[in-house]
Amino acid sequence: MEVRLTELNENEILLYLGYRGQEYPAEVEVQIKRCEKEVLAAAVPRLIWRRLPVEEVHSCGLPPESRDIRELLEGCREVVLMAVTLGQGIDRLLAKSSVSNMADAVIMDACASTAVENVADNFERDLRKELEAEHLYLTDRFSPGYGDLPLAVQKQFCTALDTERRIGLSVSSSMLMIPGKSVTAVLGISESPKLLRKRGCESCSLFRSCIYRKEGKSCHEKQDHS
Amino acid sequence: MKNRIILDGGMGTMLQAAGLGLGERPDIFGMEHPDVVEEIQRRYVEAGSQILYANTFGTNAHKLEGTGYTVEEVISANIAIARRAAAGKAKVALDAGPVGELLEPLGMLSFEKAYEIYAQVVKAGAAGGADLIIFETMTDLYEVKAAVLAAKENSNLPVWTTMSFEASGRTFTGTTVAAMALTLTGLGVEALGINCSLGPEELVPLVRELRQWTDLPIIVKPNAGLPDPATGEYGMKAEEFGRCMAELPKLGASIFGGCCGTDPDFIRALTGLQEKEESGRSGRLRRGVCSAGQVAEFGGRQSFETGGEPERILVIGERINPTGKKRFQEALRAGDMNYIMERAIEQADAGADILDINVGLPGIDEAEMMTRVVKAVQSVVSLPLQIDSSDPVVIEAGLRACNGRAIVNSVNGEQEVLKKVLPLVKKYGAAVVGLTMDKGGIPETAEARISIAGRILETALQYGIPKEDVLIDALTLTISAQQRQAAETLRAVRYIREKMGLHCVLGVSNISFGLPERFHVTASFLTQAMCCGLDFPIINPNQKEIMDMVFSYRALSGEDADCGAYIERFANAASDKTVPAAASVEMTIETAIMKGLKQEVANLTEGCLETMSELDVINQRLIPALDIVGEKYEKQQIFLPQLINAANAACAGFDLIKEKIAGRGGENLSKGKIILATVEGDIHDIGKNIVRVVLENYGYQVIDLGRDVPVQSVVEAARKEEVSLVGLSALMTTTVSSMQKTIAALRESGHACKVFVGGAVLTENYAMEIGADFYAKDAKASVDIAKEVLG
Repeated sequence: MEVRLTELNENEILLYLGYRGQEYPAEVEVQIKRCEKEVLAAAVPRLIWRRLPVEEVHSCGLPPESRDIRELLEGCREVVLMAVTLGQGIDRLLAKSSVSNMADAVIMDACASTAVENVADNFERDLRKELEAEHLYLTDRFSPGYGDLPLAVQKQFCTALDTERRIGLSVSSSMLMIPGKSVTAVLGISESPKLLRKRGCESCSLFRSCIYRKEGKSCHEKQDHS
Repeated sequence: MKNRIILDGGMGTMLQAAGLGLGERPDIFGMEHPDVVEEIQRRYVEAGSQILYANTFGTNAHKLEGTGYTVEEVISANIAIARRAAAGKAKVALDAGPVGELLEPLGMLSFEKAYEIYAQVVKAGAAGGADLIIFETMTDLYEVKAAVLAAKENSNLPVWTTMSFEASGRTFTGTTVAAMALTLTGLGVEALGINCSLGPEELVPLVRELRQWTDLPIIVKPNAGLPDPATGEYGMKAEEFGRCMAELPKLGASIFGGCCGTDPDFIRALTGLQEKEESGRSGRLRRGVCSAGQVAEFGGRQSFETGGEPERILVIGERINPTGKKRFQEALRAGDMNYIMERAIEQADAGADILDINVGLPGIDEAEMMTRVVKAVQSVVSLPLQIDSSDPVVIEAGLRACNGRAIVNSVNGEQEVLKKVLPLVKKYGAAVVGLTMDKGGIPETAEARISIAGRILETALQYGIPKEDVLIDALTLTISAQQRQAAETLRAVRYIREKMGLHCVLGVSNISFGLPERFHVTASFLTQAMCCGLDFPIINPNQKEIMDMVFSYRALSGEDADCGAYIERFANAASDKTVPAAASVEMTIETAIMKGLKQEVANLTEGCLETMSELDVINQRLIPALDIVGEKYEKQQIFLPQLINAANAACAGFDLIKEKIAGRGGENLSKGKIILATVEGDIHDIGKNIVRVVLENYGYQVIDLGRDVPVQSVVEAARKEEVSLVGLSALMTTTVSSMQKTIAALRESGHACKVFVGGAVLTENYAMEIGADFYAKDAKASVDIAKEVLG
């Protein structure tokens, strides 16, 4: 399975930028297009994944006491661990534009967040398709930091995937992923179709930081995961 | 011709087969099961390994934390195992990999701390009786530099290094093969190369590239092909591995082994490789200076005339220098790295190839500042650097902190100076600028300057610095004072470049000092000097017309093949002109700010200053305009990009005013100082940076402590700067705890400052819970807080 970064969803970029139907002048649209181009040029998407028997999942840092993980993997014989990153070039681009043009930096940050989700989504979609041929089904994608799965498992998770050596993704002692625009997740493989939980706030990587959620709103109506 | 040397193969997979559990540490497994490791290594010796890598790849203080073992005991035990396995038939290498925590600027481990970690490993390895030191599977050139310096300064053992590359020819951190070769050859490693990464076939182009940039023995230790993505297992068989590896001696490699997925059979397959490597290079050795990701390659002379090597003009940007620049001096005194980083980005965008770094200013610790500025600059641009100082302590600080291979600017013909500086140039593998002057001052004739150049070259050669790395500055004098000197300088340049074959540097703009419309004289002199052989002009690349001269010259000399760069530069310039000016009728400062138009705001501010005082322009025009923008943002009439665009545009007005005030050495218009920091353990600083830009535009002086700021540094800064407001930012739940600690420490210190906090995971309640005085939900809110506290 190839790592794929496809066209970015402009609505998602706007969402990250806090756009809620305000005025959207043409010059800002041009600026966003330009930033998007720079982000896509700097991104070197990389992917690593492993398909394992479900028993091995605990040695990869996913604690047996996590109710969410138990729920997610119920009835699954196998799991897929995945990590994707856009590479350090994005971090450097963001550092540079934070100095030279903060507005560009903010927009590029939103574009890069959209891009890394795009890479993770593409992998999930491709894998789902591939498994269909084996009459197997994929659960939702679940990441460290969602629900009751603590961020603290990030290090062991990445060690299990050997992300540092394989895709240049390392985890700091405070559990931050470097490069910053990276996603890790676990998915279950089951023999019967599982009801995909509606992609709601609780299974979103922005669960804790979402500006919409803070305001008691949600964004997930726009997502289509059929 | 070097003799072939056979290394060993993979260890991890063999240990796993012998019982190493997932997540268990191989080095500790070795201590607990010495027989298992010894048996594997004995099989490698039997297969033909002449050097065994001790089972110490991940052994360092950072990774052993919490295991109960010391670096010394793990290293000495594992070296002893390898020594027994070698049984006198193979040498034993201390093997060290990456620290396991990413280095600055992207990561949080400082270069100095990485050095300490490696120094401990090296000392333990030397004490344990290793025959040589190998750093392998490295991806960050800066980390390799820390490791190699630690090895060279703490042992006498030979040092070999190998890095891991992707097929693109870069490591994950962006280091190129050429940059690795230039930097590490300069630092004096004994052999270098590539390990892990890919299979032997994929490494062919990389080895070919490496040979162009170094004469050292080349090491190749590839994986057994590419791994299966789903299982991570390697599929290549030993025989095929040996067949593919047979290509590499022809490209100039002479030291071979295997990495992931290889076993003793793979090593046995290498014993059939030819015993003498071939040169692998048809042309001359390529040279240059570099950052980790970018090389400025040194050129030849007059490619059209002789059909020889292409000539290359390398522009050295001169703007990071406080001499005669009040605003720059102010920034240095205040430790304002943002201002300096902006100067770096500007020059990079304008087309500089190398950046000169000079931080000489009375009253500051120049060496410490050199380190800070070098690190700050290389965090935002990837140009090679020129370390500009006459003080050996400052030069060494710059060379050490530089990630890549630098130029030292400068030495002169005085033996005293040469004796102090050239050893540093040699140790760090730099190039050096020699000024053609000595105790007697600047000689008036070209001949006398040429003779000093000769003396500098001779001494450099004695120190082992190759001729190609000696750059001579024949010195530009001002024609308004010494008119005849222009011709002497040009004569000297021509001789030094053509007869002595040395590269030439000149600080060009000095030629026109004191004259009106200086540009004409500077540009003309630049062109003449390049014709005479100047290939390293030190100029202000922000002056478009001067850079136009460089682009034109490159097109004429043939350096710019098919005039591609020239066409690109001016084709765009032509299309720019067709765009109608954004400023139409009746543009006011308010509309210009609202629309985010920097240049217009600067122009309009300039206009206002004709009739208004600086303070009035700020308080009656700029800030009210920002207030309107802020209000619109709050009412959700505009969104974040517009808010920041407006702040950026207002910045152009403020900068102009600051520049003017600094220029006349005037009073500070600051409305008060505010400290901002992203807390310890956190590196997400985009939110903090937005707040900084907006606060600065409201006239506050922001002391930005950066990211991952230790608790104590915040307290010390608050005390030293006597601030009454501190802003803290944290993005992750994991780092809010250090925010809480920072607030507690500030309170404990008895400092009376107010604290406001912000960040994605925070809420008003959460902020109060951790002891903050204010919660800033966004940048606008932080301005309101600043107004409340500071007025």
